[in-house]
Amino acid sequence: MTLAAGIGYVLLALGPSLALFVTLISTKPFLILVLLSSTLLWLISLIVLSGFWKAFLPIKTSAWWPYVILILTSVVFQEGLRLVLWRGYKKMEDMLDAFADRVAKPRLYLTDKMQIALAGGLGHGVAHAVFFCLSLLTPSFGPATLYVDKCSYAPFFLISAIISLAFVTIHTFSMVIAFNGYAQGNKSDQLIVPAIHIIAGTLTLVNLASSGCIVGIPLLYIVALSTLAYCGKMVWRRLTETQIRLTPQNQ
Amino acid sequence: MDQNHRNTGILHTLGEEIIRIITPVSICMLSVVILVSILDKDSSLSSSVSTIATIAYTETTSDSEWDKFKGALLNSLVFVAVVTVVTFLLVVLFYFNCTKFLKYYMGFSAFLVLGFMGGEIGVFLIQVYSVAIDCFTYVLLLLNFTIVGVLAVFMSKIPIFVTQSYMVVIGVLTAYWFTMLPEWTTWVLLVAMALYDLAAVLLPGGPLRLLVELAISRDEDIPALVYEARPVIDPRSNATVQRRVWRDRPVNVEAQSRPQVDTETVGSSRNVEEGRVNELSVPLIERLRERGVEPESLGLEGIGLASTGAIKLGLGDFIFYSVLVGRAAMYDFMTVYACYIAIIAGLGITLVLLAVYQKALPALPVSVMLGVLFYVLTRFFLEDFVVQCSSNLLMF
Repeated sequence: MTLAAGIGYVLLALGPSLALFVTLISTKPFLILVLLSSTLLWLISLIVLSGFWKAFLPIKTSAWWPYVILILTSVVFQEGLRLVLWRGYKKMEDMLDAFADRVAKPRLYLTDKMQIALAGGLGHGVAHAVFFCLSLLTPSFGPATLYVDKCSYAPFFLISAIISLAFVTIHTFSMVIAFNGYAQGNKSDQLIVPAIHIIAGTLTLVNLASSGCIVGIPLLYIVALSTLAYCGKMVWRRLTETQIRLTPQNQ
Repeated sequence: MDQNHRNTGILHTLGEEIIRIITPVSICMLSVVILVSILDKDSSLSSSVSTIATIAYTETTSDSEWDKFKGALLNSLVFVAVVTVVTFLLVVLFYFNCTKFLKYYMGFSAFLVLGFMGGEIGVFLIQVYSVAIDCFTYVLLLLNFTIVGVLAVFMSKIPIFVTQSYMVVIGVLTAYWFTMLPEWTTWVLLVAMALYDLAAVLLPGGPLRLLVELAISRDEDIPALVYEARPVIDPRSNATVQRRVWRDRPVNVEAQSRPQVDTETVGSSRNVEEGRVNELSVPLIERLRERGVEPESLGLEGIGLASTGAIKLGLGDFIFYSVLVGRAAMYDFMTVYACYIAIIAGLGITLVLLAVYQKALPALPVSVMLGVLFYVLTRFFLEDFVVQCSSNLLMF
């Protein structure tokens, strides 16, 4: 539906990420590199998954259980990759601290570490939005639009952009939660991230039913907003803890 | 420790040089993708480009795949052979100190690219958008644009932003012309150029290696079209030094109070004009000056993130990266995103290898190989998977 609509869909899916990028990440070159590496890693994960599933696609039956297996295997694989990302990040953190000592600058602050986690999560979100939503938006720059049978309330592009926005939020902030959980050894943080991912993935299965998106998409947004709230609470808790530790005690 | 009084941490400056190179490379790729998307829709504009790259075989859609592949291979072999001959010619000229001739030739090539190629693409754009402009005005504007571009290539007194922009424009124009080659020829040519780059820089008899050694031994610049990220400030004289490819400085053991400026040189440069190809190639080089004795692992300096010198990237790299992405754009945008990330990753890996090995390295092979690999994987695997998931509104 013309260039304006196409750009509108792009901004709908990626607008908040663009805002985060411009304000937080573009001023620090290292975070841009973290974002690019994270996007690369998740792209590789998608390619590996697609290579594995190539033999079984296209799914001809209209039954829903092949899709369940698809979602579950993909989510499990991606969560495993998150652990790999954490290991790499630990090594990088040691190198960064050694470098900071050598050039007589302060070591990584807590906020620096959280910003690196945020950049990593944003990379994941951007990879999702680009490959699941943006790459299919090319027809929307033309004169017509497209509707899906199962969800004919709005054009396909709009629905896919809305779902991508929810997923970008989920991915961005669950990386922050996960990295904090691994750093502190907090089991509940560590387990909640895969749980959120699986719940979000299975919620999209609801879209398979006819008119299921009416139920599926608001539930997905509830998950996204609760991820956001949980992350905010956790960050607040960590920052105030650190403040209390650093404020000199009055004797 | 009060949070208000902290110094700026390391995250603010680390990796700055890499970003200063990734930004113009990304802008060049984006411009080529946009040009390809705008001008490709109008199929009446596509005429078969007869250059040296299609001299051996002209691809037609009716041939079988094996024939196309053989023809593309022949084309690429011819192209690589011409490039090799011309590079050896360049080494000979450089050996006999004909640097002035080479500089004038560079200016002439810039004039041809900006004037003729830029003019033709401008005409295409005018046709597509029906811009109301008469030919006298157009020629006047084009002439001014071209002359300023030639001056920017020649002289170093021009503000660096203008020089950088003109380098990117020359890269975009040349890359767009390369995308007009037939499909199989383009892909095989990219792989062939990557292999040629690898051989020419690393093999002992390779022309680029000879060129680098000559230039190092004479402590001179190689005359080539090279994109520079920023001028290098010489800490001794505190003035902007003439931008040099290498700086040979004696290692001062006692005066190590501040880090030396490390001069990194990255690049292979190709100078292309319509119909004839001439090669000026500068491979990837780094001269990391040791500060005293650092026997243990260099850590972040080792992976090139911490250097403070100016990075230079040859224009040939810009061109071939953009050709890859432009060709991917002719298929679909999903391949564009995948190839873009692959090329940036390849560039990063090459910079890391550069800092580890600290000798001349070619900038093309890793990126082009990764780009071609990701293109093939995306086109044949990822697209089906993603379309299948998304069309059912199934995402994870």
